[in-house]
Amino acid sequence: MSSEALVAAATILAFGIIILGVAFGSAVGDGIVASKAVEAISRQPEARPNIFLFMFLGIGVLEAFPIIGLGLGFYLLLVVANVPALLSHVAHVAK
Amino acid sequence: MKEQIGEHLTWTWPFVGSVHADTILTTWVAMIVALIFLAWVGNSYRRPRVGKTQTIFEGVIDYIADLVYGSLGKSGEPFVPFFIALFIYLFTLNQFGILSYPLRLLGVPFSGSPTGDLNTTVPYAVLIFLMIQVVAIRKKGLGYYKHLAQPFSFMLPINVVDEAMRPVTLAARLFFNIFVGELLFIVVASVIRQQVMIGPFNLSLAAAILPIFIQFFNFFVGTIQAFIFTLLGIVYLSLATAEEH
Repeated sequence: MSSEALVAAATILAFGIIILGVAFGSAVGDGIVASKAVEAISRQPEARPNIFLFMFLGIGVLEAFPIIGLGLGFYLLLVVANVPALLSHVAHVAK
Repeated sequence: MKEQIGEHLTWTWPFVGSVHADTILTTWVAMIVALIFLAWVGNSYRRPRVGKTQTIFEGVIDYIADLVYGSLGKSGEPFVPFFIALFIYLFTLNQFGILSYPLRLLGVPFSGSPTGDLNTTVPYAVLIFLMIQVVAIRKKGLGYYKHLAQPFSFMLPINVVDEAMRPVTLAARLFFNIFVGELLFIVVASVIRQQVMIGPFNLSLAAAILPIFIQFFNFFVGTIQAFIFTLLGIVYLSLATAEEH
């Protein structure tokens, strides 16, 4: 296996694992925040605008790290390993 | 894809060296647009009837003013215009991503959202950080830094890292949220460009509907992130100028 194909394969696999971690962490965190918000609203419906505000605040602060991870994953895929160029090179060689 | 991701057209200015031309041009255009719009809204105060836009803006300004007064108390009054301006300015800048790449392909250096460039978000985060330091020192003197060793003295490195990471996460959160939104457009565009077929199913055609939903999502994310930047600035300032209990 040529070294370019190896680097491309490892980078694509790493990007997949990063997406897994990012999506899982973001989904679980948002789910916890939203479920607590719904519970609080059901307990005290007249505080709804305030709780709504805090829910969005929590989601916005929480989404920072998953999106930083996603951005760095794209950086890895497209700049560090430059996978589209590697793949076109590998396809050209394989033909 | 002929363009690189994150590539900016650069000018060379005499004093500061090379700068990102499209970010600066878009920022100027956004500033002019925001100033004209706000002047138009302010002009509606001369007429006796209350317009819709005036009501909406009063609602936004009252909301942020309530947040500031709620966190900072009466002494937060000088900061209200600052945070209102920060929120409206960041909101305007975040939405400029709509007008992005078509204009760049025509050769006009006006592309993308300025907050999709780290050179825009880091100065705002540093500005808020320095503002907090200056306001806290003016209020409490240099003894303000004793709060870093406050509950126990071995918590000094933890507190220092915590305080130092605040501007970093502020800048990174805003930048990455807006930049990944633009990056999604590029990814969908490259799928459409390569005309991917899965058996009889034309994936490229299905992917052509996506940009509308991505744009809705980007609008939502831009608003939320502008609001969160402002709100976190208010919260950090209130934490720094809090009275001892």
